[in-house]
Amino acid sequence: MIIAEQKPLDEILEMISGVEKLLVLGCRGCVAVCSTGGDKEVGVLASALRLGRKKAGKPIEIDEATYVRQCDPEYLEPLKEDGEKYDAVLSMACGVGVNFIADRCPDVNVLPALNTTFYGANLSSGEWAEMCAGCGACVLHLTGGLCPVARCAKSLSNGPCGGSVGGRCEINPDVPCIWHQICEKLTGRKQDQLLREIVPIRDWRPSGHGGPRRRIREDLLP
Amino acid sequence: MISGSNLEQVLTSGQFTVTGELGPPQNGNFDVVRDKARILKGHVDAVNITDCQTAIVRMSSLTAGLVALAEGVEPVMQMTCRDRNRIGIQSDILGASALGIKNLLCLTGDHQKFGNHPQAKGVFDMDSIQLLGMVKAMRDDKKFQCGDEIKSHEPRLLLGAAANPFADPFEYRPIRVAKKVDAGASFIQTQIIYNVEKFARFMEIVRDLGLHEKVYILAGVTPPKSVGMARYMKKFVPGLDVTDEVIERLKGAKDPKEEGINICVDIIKQVREIPGVAGVHVMAIGWEQAVPEIVSLAGLSPRPGAQAVEPRLRSSESTELIVSEAKKDAKAEIEKALEQAKAEAQASRDLVVKEKERVTSEISGLKRQAEKDKAIAGQKETEIERLNAELAKTRAGQGHAQALKELAEKRESRALSSRERSALASLRSGLEALSKGLGINEDQLEALRRFFEAEFLLRLDTAEQVTVPSEEAAVPIEEMEKPDAEAETRHKEVINLVAKGNVLLHKNDAAGAIDAFEKALAIEPEEQKASEGLKKARKAYEIARPAEEAAAPEGIPPCPEGLSPEEWQRKWVIRLVARGNVCLHKGDADGALEAFKLALELDPGDEKAKAGLLRAESGEVAPVPVPAEPEVPEKAEVPPTPKPRAAPVTEEVKAEAKKVVPVPAAPTGMEDLSVAELPKEARSLSERAGSIAEDQFTEACTGVIREVSLDEGEKALTVGGASTLPFHLFEGDMPYVPRVAYDVLDSEPEDWPDVLSKYYSDVLSDPVAWARKCIDDYGAEAICLSLVSTDPNGMNRPSSEAAKVAQSVIEGVDVPMILWGCGNAEKDTETLREVTNLVGNRKVCLGPLSDANYRSLGATAMAFQLPVVASTPIDVNLAKQLNILLENLGLSLDQVLMDTSIGAVGYGMEYSYSVMERIRLAALTQQDEKLQVPFICNLGREVWKTKECRLPSDDHLGDQERRGVLMEAVTASTLLLAGGELMVMMHPKAVALAEALIKGMMG
Repeated sequence: MIIAEQKPLDEILEMISGVEKLLVLGCRGCVAVCSTGGDKEVGVLASALRLGRKKAGKPIEIDEATYVRQCDPEYLEPLKEDGEKYDAVLSMACGVGVNFIADRCPDVNVLPALNTTFYGANLSSGEWAEMCAGCGACVLHLTGGLCPVARCAKSLSNGPCGGSVGGRCEINPDVPCIWHQICEKLTGRKQDQLLREIVPIRDWRPSGHGGPRRRIREDLLP
Repeated sequence: MISGSNLEQVLTSGQFTVTGELGPPQNGNFDVVRDKARILKGHVDAVNITDCQTAIVRMSSLTAGLVALAEGVEPVMQMTCRDRNRIGIQSDILGASALGIKNLLCLTGDHQKFGNHPQAKGVFDMDSIQLLGMVKAMRDDKKFQCGDEIKSHEPRLLLGAAANPFADPFEYRPIRVAKKVDAGASFIQTQIIYNVEKFARFMEIVRDLGLHEKVYILAGVTPPKSVGMARYMKKFVPGLDVTDEVIERLKGAKDPKEEGINICVDIIKQVREIPGVAGVHVMAIGWEQAVPEIVSLAGLSPRPGAQAVEPRLRSSESTELIVSEAKKDAKAEIEKALEQAKAEAQASRDLVVKEKERVTSEISGLKRQAEKDKAIAGQKETEIERLNAELAKTRAGQGHAQALKELAEKRESRALSSRERSALASLRSGLEALSKGLGINEDQLEALRRFFEAEFLLRLDTAEQVTVPSEEAAVPIEEMEKPDAEAETRHKEVINLVAKGNVLLHKNDAAGAIDAFEKALAIEPEEQKASEGLKKARKAYEIARPAEEAAAPEGIPPCPEGLSPEEWQRKWVIRLVARGNVCLHKGDADGALEAFKLALELDPGDEKAKAGLLRAESGEVAPVPVPAEPEVPEKAEVPPTPKPRAAPVTEEVKAEAKKVVPVPAAPTGMEDLSVAELPKEARSLSERAGSIAEDQFTEACTGVIREVSLDEGEKALTVGGASTLPFHLFEGDMPYVPRVAYDVLDSEPEDWPDVLSKYYSDVLSDPVAWARKCIDDYGAEAICLSLVSTDPNGMNRPSSEAAKVAQSVIEGVDVPMILWGCGNAEKDTETLREVTNLVGNRKVCLGPLSDANYRSLGATAMAFQLPVVASTPIDVNLAKQLNILLENLGLSLDQVLMDTSIGAVGYGMEYSYSVMERIRLAALTQQDEKLQVPFICNLGREVWKTKECRLPSDDHLGDQERRGVLMEAVTASTLLLAGGELMVMMHPKAVALAEALIKGMMG
């Protein structure tokens, strides 16, 4: 899932400094699951903004709403008209939602309430970690299911660098060395031959370095 | 050649390579790079130019590399993947190649997090292995990474990579090296090594993978500048293993910088020993000044001259620099030549001045002499007149007075020639001597007169060459002839002789005087003055002789330099006693008697000499036993049972035209291995040398090897004492013959070849019986009990048990014993201490003492006054150091035997020989007191574990026993010639051969 985190309150207040009527718009997709942009977080953020503006002597009118998803056009239909009533719409969806609103509702002043961070998993309550870089050229079958592109600080392809000590990454002891784990896993599975083969230089185009990516499936096209 | 770089040439030449490192500055200062390059120039084969190391922005490696190149220092350009994608990297590589860079080190690069721009986007378009592959393809396949062709001028770079043996997972590290090699690396530089042991394990896997044959591995080292730096690296640099030992050394050091350099040098020396290490990479970033010292201390300088280091770009400054340097060189050369010419001129000027002075002084000397002569001549003339007058009065009637008068007249009538003047001067001085020494009395005056007359007459009559009258010259009168008055001549001769006698007597040469007087009496027996003189002379002689004897006792060679006469006499007595002992040993009772008597004359109180004399007088002479071949049953498969023989058997057999005293022949092809006597050279060395003076071929030694006694009592042995190189008996003495001890194992040997074990087959399981057999059957003079059973890696018998076995052997034999531990320092300490507790006062020799246990065992040896064996690896300095340590401990070197480690023939013998020879030369000719210690050579064990002693008999290699015996005997011979004093051997036949050699060499 996409993991995001709320921007600092001051930054948001700064963003809406000239706004007098605001819609805080949540999303029940990924951001709701990672407890950043669902119904509950919409309520909390709206209250915080009201208080902040009140304290600054510039009270604000804020409405709250949460859509099923902000990344599918059908759910955004109502906003095309409703949005115009507000000076700004503060989206609590991931960056995709913000972009999509901007695309679909040209007359709406959409603002981001969150920083979209990574594709990750929920390690435990309140803890998420990156597991995928969306690089578009998956090599997990060669690495025991563990992603060196997303999980190695240098996205190495050919084994751990010289900074790997005791299974930890040199950039931070809290970070496990994913290549150490890959080595152990492949050796344990008697697939260590994979560790001896030289992985050629990557084609980074699928990961976005070839320009904005778009995917088309003919069979599903209208 | 891949790139033809200097680094590549040094690496491929097989020399131990040294690379350095240069960190470019964090600014645009050209001079910084140039200055660092100048420090490193000539001390390393190539220099790594780092590429923004630890992700801190610095001058680019390409630029700094070009500056270094312009200074004549070959750069290894570092290239990371952090800051450039494949487009940037390939572009820089083309540029580098164009400008003459020939080495490239391919790195992934430190993560930007560590640097001063942690916000930077890390590129990491590829990793180091992919980078290697890409550059290799550019070079070898002439293709860019995308596959496009490089149409010409492809970059020719020697590629290197890094490896970190201390990163995890450890087992994967060598595999990653293999990947780098496969990808294109020709050399590898490792992370900084402090933990050499771990690096050695890494190298072991590297060798197992065969990588050391595919790639040159350079071990990374860095001198720690301070404790703080070492601690920082240990704590904060991931993948760097700084050992506690390094931190402790720095902590304890007075000068941490110097210690840091020492640590670095030590590590270089250690890694150099690891197989597969082709060189070192010295990283002293920010401390480049240390590199020349490190390289030199590590014994790696000078470096081979740099080749193919040619910058393509030259700044005008560097051109000027080159020109100015060339000028400087030329100027220096000219100045040198000028200096030399000046010195030569000065020298010749000095010579002229000196010559002038010499000539002047000569002339003035001659002038003085002439004046003196003139004066003397004047005196003489008056003297002659006076004598003439006297003569005329007393002997007017005698013919020769007339003659004399005539002569005097004649003399007056002509001028004196210079020769005559000098003759007169001599006469005058003779006269003075006589009148002073004896007082003027009439007889003497008369003698003088006659002497004077006779001489003068003779000279004038023969009118030939003048013999300068002196006491020596008086004798040749005999040869002269005076035809008309024979009796008179004889008379004159007698007078001359008497005069001579008196002069000699006056000079305290009583013997010469006696001789002269006796000659005089022989001519004229009645001559009174002569017989009186003779009496006087004899008396003087009697008085003088005792004093002379006290000053230089008869029979003692002159005292060598560096010794007082007392010391020399004491030494000489010891040698005489030793010579006597040797004679006894050889069966030469007369020689022994003579030696002991001489010794007692010099020192009547010497106990050893007395004891020896008693033995010599009682005719007690040691027989030389010959080992008997055990009887081998006809079928070879059955292990042979040796049958002890009561007495040695000898018979004469001719072999190779030598006189041979063989042991009974065995049916195994051993016939010609019998103990032969060495053919003796009948003529002495000086005879053989012919007319060559002795001092041309002899070289006396000034040092003396210490004497070490093993055991006490009748069978005690002493070794050492040599004052010459081994067997150079024409130059000095070897008072004690080299000895052989039999090796006895304290547990049954499992892997002995049959050809050896058959000699002991009935006693192998019983060390006491074994030792007795060596003594009784084979005539062993000493036993070395090897405590092999105590080895913790073998049987690991407890010390207490082993000590009991040793005790029973020690108590069961009466010859000197050497106890030789298993070589494990701790266990040996335990076992040998246990033994000394059990056997108390028996003076067994303990060994081996190493640097690990010399304190504990040395203390034991001091407490019980036991001799010890000081064992060191084959090295002069280590041997000396251990001796010094033992002496510092309080142990006298008179108790020490040196074991410098032995290799059998074909197994490092040349090292053993060379080290022993060097030690002996230092001891004898350089008076290195710490090395004046006898050698013990435990060689049997080394010989009999070799392949050559273990392969069975076959047509190609011949008989196994013969082979083994010869191996052992030749090893022993070599060690004897190197100076070995005590051999520890195994095969009785080899022992017999060695002893025959000793006997032959000792004459």
